[in-house]
Amino acid sequence: MAASVLKKVVIEKINEVAAVLMQKGTLIAPVKEEAGANFREIKDPKDIYLDYYNSILSPKMVFFPQMEDFVKYQLAKPKADAKIVEMNLKPAFLFGVRPCDVKSFEILDKHFYASGIIDTYWKARRDNTTIIGYAFDLDKPVDSADFYNTLGIGAADPEGSDIFIVKKDKELLLKGITKKGEALLGELSMLEKADAKDEKYFTDYVKKGKEKKTRFMKVDDKAVAKKYEDIFENNEYWTKMSDACLSCGVCTFVCPTCYCFDICDETIFGKGTRRRIWDACMFTDFTLETSGHNPRTKVSQRLRQKVCHKYSFSVRKYDVISCVGCGRCTRSCPVNIDIYSMVEEATKL
Amino acid sequence: MMSNNPYIPMPVTITKIINEVDTNDIKTFRLTFQNKEDEQKFKYLPGQFAELSIFGKGESPIGIASSPTEPGYVEFTVQKAGVIVPGLVTAALHDLEEGAEIGMRGPLGKSWPIEFLEKKNIVVVGGGFAFTTLRSLINYMLHKDNRKRFGEITVVYGARNPGLLLYKNELAAWEKRDDIKTNITVDKGNESWKGREGFVPNVCKEVAPSPKNTVAVICGPPIMIKFTLPVFYDLKFAKENILTSLEMRMKCGIGKCGRCNVGFKYVCSDGPVFSMAELEELPRDF
Ligand SMILES: Cc1cc2nc3c(=O)[nH]c(=O)nc-3n(C[C@H](O)[C@H](O)[C@H](O)COP(=O)(O)OP(=O)(O)OC[C@H]3O[C@@H](n4cnc5c(N)ncnc54)[C@H](O)[C@@H]3O)c2cc1C
Ligand code: SF4
Ligand code: SF4
Ligand code: FES
Repeated sequence: MAASVLKKVVIEKINEVAAVLMQKGTLIAPVKEEAGANFREIKDPKDIYLDYYNSILSPKMVFFPQMEDFVKYQLAKPKADAKIVEMNLKPAFLFGVRPCDVKSFEILDKHFYASGIIDTYWKARRDNTTIIGYAFDLDKPVDSADFYNTLGIGAADPEGSDIFIVKKDKELLLKGITKKGEALLGELSMLEKADAKDEKYFTDYVKKGKEKKTRFMKVDDKAVAKKYEDIFENNEYWTKMSDACLSCGVCTFVCPTCYCFDICDETIFGKGTRRRIWDACMFTDFTLETSGHNPRTKVSQRLRQKVCHKYSFSVRKYDVISCVGCGRCTRSCPVNIDIYSMVEEATKL
Repeated sequence: MMSNNPYIPMPVTITKIINEVDTNDIKTFRLTFQNKEDEQKFKYLPGQFAELSIFGKGESPIGIASSPTEPGYVEFTVQKAGVIVPGLVTAALHDLEEGAEIGMRGPLGKSWPIEFLEKKNIVVVGGGFAFTTLRSLINYMLHKDNRKRFGEITVVYGARNPGLLLYKNELAAWEKRDDIKTNITVDKGNESWKGREGFVPNVCKEVAPSPKNTVAVICGPPIMIKFTLPVFYDLKFAKENILTSLEMRMKCGIGKCGRCNVGFKYVCSDGPVFSMAELEELPRDF
């Protein structure tokens, strides 16, 4: 493989990098909010919050926003007047994504992009975005909820990013991973050339990232998928796991690999929008049919759907566990339901 | 509106509405395309469905009731849904008159496996208003260009009472033909009913089709399915040779929104047509 480009910049100068990216298109990066960090469009480079651990909401919302408008309509007789909502996308730069979240994009690509009908919106936003990944700070402790090691992900894995950033004291090292990333690095004139020491630092950092320990258990994709097929009807297990669950759906909203959505019409005084909007298999009416039939009336059945979807169905359908061990669901759950412990307990059955 | 975006409905006009039953809650809607390109692209086979769209109300997945051998239009038979609260889309559809414009996305899902059915005897079993895509299949097989491709065709179709039978004119026409054996039954007849009385599973038992080189295609309310399946197992039909169409709440209809997920399948895009052998591989979660 040809040596790829490595550049560096002192952290204060990140404002200049941001300014150029904002000129080229839309810059999305972590900002500090009351509840914690989240990915938002940057209007002022000073808002970029590089010292964050991980965002509360996952960056999937950049490609799969909570609401996506399809059609605007005006009700009228004999026919409604309807117009497709154009996306009018500018090039986007998604800055500062952690390696586990970068991995989640690959998993959702399999669903929205690489199999069956292509999701127009996901594809357009994905094609249009340059991903600038950012290694976890290896000098800081990992959050106790994280378990991305279990899914084979390291704290400083550059794969999947277009550009990957590693922090070195007061500098950031930026590596071009894809052609798209290298080209962008070439256009950022404030960046300095990195030397051989930086190269070594970067390589070592990626290696050390693999040794940084999150919670870990050995899971074999096929074995865990089969296990969940076997215990699908084990009501004792599912009732125990879901005992405290409130069906609030927060775990799915923060999850980078959850993709369920509703399509609905919102009309006010004859004017309206058809849009898709995040939904959750944890909600009681998710599978409620108009006839009154509902195959998942119990919370144990809904939690089962969520866990089996990630650790079993997805393996069978897309050949990948659709969880990256980011720990968000565990951190956000009001009653401390922890998917890692659920899987751990299942493997012991 | 024209688009390659799978979420955007194409405009269609309701050119004919047929009130199918005494209770006035099931109507067949004939839709014609407003754009020639849409019509050319809409290539379907029996068993597929489409999302019918009414802005301000939403979308509903509805099986295609017409056969692709009838060009120029597509038909859907829709029941006004809802137990306590009326269903938004189906109620709105029932309020529309001929000439109204609605939207349609499709064709969606997998059809009855036509190639697999070729050269075989076909037993079509239907109950209630779940007869729609079976009607499509029967009309498809009966078409003069297609009839030779299939063996014997046997139909068992039942409704609670004579007034609830769909497609009454067609049923009468099939009964007159000698290349299809039609067994129409009602749970309970009335003064003018001269036909058969009895439940669908019992009629299947009487008709007793041989499993040899034969496929059974069964659609109906859950209770009918429950009692009909054992009849076919007793007749020694293999699970691969019993087909049905699954219902699950849907939204996108294209395998993206996660709504109709059962095990490793999406009912909308991997189905709705499944064999009993395929269903056996899925968790009991529908
Ligand atoms: C593959 C398939 C084929 C169908 N074919 C027919 C048919 O030929 N004729 C017919 O009358 N009905 C059919 N149905 C059922 C029909 O889709 C529902 O009755 C209808 O969606 C109710 O919508 P609503 O807006 O009136 O009710 P509401 O309760 O207002 O709508 C809720 C929404 O939830 C979804 N939904 C609710 N119930 C169902 C359901 N049972 N299945 C799927 N989605 C649902 C729809 O998106 C619907 O718009 C079919 C369902 C499926 C899955
Ligand atoms: S299930 Fe939990 S740990 Fe796994 S990707 Fe989703 S939020 Fe992260
Ligand atoms: S966040 Fe916790 S309580 Fe809420 S639905 Fe998820 S598991 Fe249940
Ligand atoms: S209806 Fe959306 S995935 Fe099947």
